[in-house]
Amino acid sequence: MTHDVLSLSVLVFLPLVGALLVAATPKQAAGLQRGITLLTTLAVAVVGVALCLRFDGSTAAVQFGEAAPWFTLPGGVPVHYRLGMDGLSVLLVGLTAVLGPIVVLSTWGHIHERVKEFMVWLLAMQTGMLGVFVSLDLILFYVFWETSLVPLYFILGIWGGERRLYATIKFFLYTLAGSLVMLVAVIWLIWTAGTTDVMRLLDVGAGLPLETQLWLFAAFALAFAIKVPVMPFHTWLPDAHTEAPTSGSVILAGVLLKMGTYGLVRFGIAMFPGAALEAAPWMMALGVAGIVYGAFLAMAQTDVKRLIACSSVSHLGYVVLGLFALTEAGLRGSLLQMVNHGLSTGLLFLLIGMIYERRHTRALDQYGGVAAVMPVFALFLVFAVLSSVGLPGLNGFVGEYLILLGTWQASPWMAAIAVTGVIFGAVYLLMATRKLLFGPLVHSENKALTDLNGREVVLMLPIVVLCVWMGVQPNAFLDRADGSLRDVQARVERARHLRTASIEVPPAHRLEIEAR
Amino acid sequence: MNPDIAQRILSQATLDASGPFLALALGVLVLVFLELLPALAALRQIVFLGSLAAAAWAATRTLFGPEIAAFEGTYVANSTTSWWALLFVASALIAWIFGRRYYRDEARFEGEHDILLLTAASGMVLMAGSRDLLVFFVGLETLSVPLYALSGFRRARRESVEAGLKYFVLGAFAAAIYLMGAALLYAGTGTIALAGFQERSELLETPLALTGLALIAASLFFKISVFPFHLWVPDVYQGAPSPVTTFMATGTKAAAFAFLLPLSFALPPESAGLVAAIALITMAAGNLGALVQTDMKRLLAYSGVAHAGTMLLALAGMHADPESGGASQAVLFYMAAYTFTAGGAFGLLTMLETQGGRPVTIDGLRGLARQRPGVAAALALFMLSLGGIPATGGFLGKYLVFSVAVRADMIAAAVVGVLISVVALGYYLRIIVAMYMQPEDATRPVPAESRPLSSAMALACAAMVLVLGVLPGWFLANVR
Repeated sequence: MTHDVLSLSVLVFLPLVGALLVAATPKQAAGLQRGITLLTTLAVAVVGVALCLRFDGSTAAVQFGEAAPWFTLPGGVPVHYRLGMDGLSVLLVGLTAVLGPIVVLSTWGHIHERVKEFMVWLLAMQTGMLGVFVSLDLILFYVFWETSLVPLYFILGIWGGERRLYATIKFFLYTLAGSLVMLVAVIWLIWTAGTTDVMRLLDVGAGLPLETQLWLFAAFALAFAIKVPVMPFHTWLPDAHTEAPTSGSVILAGVLLKMGTYGLVRFGIAMFPGAALEAAPWMMALGVAGIVYGAFLAMAQTDVKRLIACSSVSHLGYVVLGLFALTEAGLRGSLLQMVNHGLSTGLLFLLIGMIYERRHTRALDQYGGVAAVMPVFALFLVFAVLSSVGLPGLNGFVGEYLILLGTWQASPWMAAIAVTGVIFGAVYLLMATRKLLFGPLVHSENKALTDLNGREVVLMLPIVVLCVWMGVQPNAFLDRADGSLRDVQARVERARHLRTASIEVPPAHRLEIEAR
Repeated sequence: MNPDIAQRILSQATLDASGPFLALALGVLVLVFLELLPALAALRQIVFLGSLAAAAWAATRTLFGPEIAAFEGTYVANSTTSWWALLFVASALIAWIFGRRYYRDEARFEGEHDILLLTAASGMVLMAGSRDLLVFFVGLETLSVPLYALSGFRRARRESVEAGLKYFVLGAFAAAIYLMGAALLYAGTGTIALAGFQERSELLETPLALTGLALIAASLFFKISVFPFHLWVPDVYQGAPSPVTTFMATGTKAAAFAFLLPLSFALPPESAGLVAAIALITMAAGNLGALVQTDMKRLLAYSGVAHAGTMLLALAGMHADPESGGASQAVLFYMAAYTFTAGGAFGLLTMLETQGGRPVTIDGLRGLARQRPGVAAALALFMLSLGGIPATGGFLGKYLVFSVAVRADMIAAAVVGVLISVVALGYYLRIIVAMYMQPEDATRPVPAESRPLSSAMALACAAMVLVLGVLPGWFLANVR
């Protein structure tokens, strides 16, 4: 175990230490609680970014690895506390770390009650999310995966909107059902493989017979698909998003959903490449269905927060589509799009939260002409929307382009349908922007709206910078993931090779080989 | 008495083996004696706690050693039985500490209460260590009869009397069924010792012995509260005084499982499917029943039924690896986690009921997080552990039980089981919702007075739940 300050253990547990500190403060000292939380998340951001900068993306090897024995399961399977970062996790760790202080700053505007509890849960949440991305032990991963539900459950349930109780319980039970099915697969896999080391399990999983792989893949993919959420499992998301406080929405869209897509790459595609190949057409179809359906849903919304939640379903459809195109471009695009979505949608939720704090409504028809009274807000909103719809030069474009390119290589049809989603996306987001910002100022209440203050501008600036940076120089980010993505790609190709080989070999001949 | 026999019985090995039982039984005798001398009433608590401590100490002496057989092999002490004994002591201690000052009208009978509690605990120890159908029966009755009395202890209250009577009538039936089963088994195999069954396993296949086994299983299922023998549980748990419920919920189940595990080798392997089906139905019955409850004790009673079903799943998967003891370890670990979780939860409810002067309902918990953040946090932790959320002992227990089922190739049962357990979160979350997310009810104020002893006990239970979930290494290595 390293004793470097820049270690993953420090990164993961720093927020938890902060949470304990906040918990020890007196109840009424809201300023102190906010201060501690902000400092903690800033420290986490520094450590996280430093780790990402130090990360060498040219190799698929696990970096900053730490391992210590934890306990032994019956049957003698040792479970380790094992952390490590590779190309699949590096960008998401960076995203989680950077969003931390931004979310905390945003709570200044909307969390006025039970500040202490909120900050504790917020910090605990960050530990859970970072833990999910850097655990390389299956049990540890599962522990982080499921415990990260709890803080969000409290955040949604205590500080949410009117129908928050319905939304929280739905969210919790829905995701839990998927996770528990995955648990059975986890138990089976650990028992069969005799190890909980994710890196070794990747090889074990790829070597399993196809039928077994398919079952395990189904169990894992169900859990992740609910989390993403992939189309037929998406119904919890609009409810959760709509009812969540702004900061909850930002975490949910920014990071939590990425746990699902991250799981799909690491535990879906990389661990069971044979099954992923079999399931790819179906998963791509679900992705495309999500893109189109999410877009239609978004178009029909009158609640602007719900609209963005539905647009998430659509945007994450791209990620799923790109992943299961199983081409180099598709994988790269998807990985980038995960971060893109976190930034753009996070920014949109922040902005909607800011205007909600002023006007206390999310109904689109209550707005109009806001640009005249809030020019800075309008500027940011237009920027966020353009980044979200994929304007060339901003981050969204690169991701969507790579995904569509990768999909085209795998299935031109799917790509063709998915492109329509780009158009629909532009339609509903731009329409919503027009209704919100432009036109005459019909509602007198809007005349008195004050523009964004310094805090609000400052907290959004890092996201804006990142959006531009990723749009102009995407390879600066993608290069870090390269090694691991090549590794995933190689696993898929090996499985593809195996599959074609087993189809070409006539059965009689195969028997002969087995006899030998 | 023949000196030879006397020497055999009073050997060091026998004393070591029966140490926990002797400690508790002696405690009972001294307490009875103290009842005669009102002047010495102050000593009661010391004797009670001392006797529990002595039992725990005696149990730790056989915790890591080899198995010691006593009384002609009808009673054994090994690592497993010692762990069980420790668990029973913990269960009695939790119930007793949370139950302080619970009784108002019956306060002057508190001496009797403690005697009955200790007697029941000694019965549990006897049950876990017995390897003979009749010794087990003695233990079972030593447990049950005090519990009947304890259930009806608040004699001025209709619910309590009803609970006592209900439990007594049904329990008497269960005991009769057990005896009938034991008689049939004896008729079929010519022995009542577990070791004897193992030697004559071919005779267990006869219809006579199978019928006997089924009857014994039914009566044990009654104690464990397995479907369809679980119907008494909600009424009795709700009606019985809360400290007694705390003890019953954690201890009785454990004691019956402690004997069922060594007995279950006698069950024919074909019965695994049936046991798994019963386990799943029990889980469903418990969880669905709990979903519609408003009274907390009743809700936790149903939840206890569901947990019994979960543990039974490990029993169903036992035949896959009878040697490695995975199922036994899984049940023991699960039960340990459950004892501290449910014990803590029932205990806190006891405390709230004592302070509020009325039964605790879900709505009655509203606003608890504001008034008493510590109590609410502990209760929330217990609910999450009961729901099997990771980083708690409940999760690891669930993991172990389901891994027994998966290893036995009962994957379909495991999947159905986990999906049923999602239902459970539906009501555990409702409790957290009431405490944290709903405004308080002005007509039902939350009592604000704090109780140092109960708080310390709740803290200890919470710590155990977390230790079993986060640092289980030592327990997993030593519990078997």
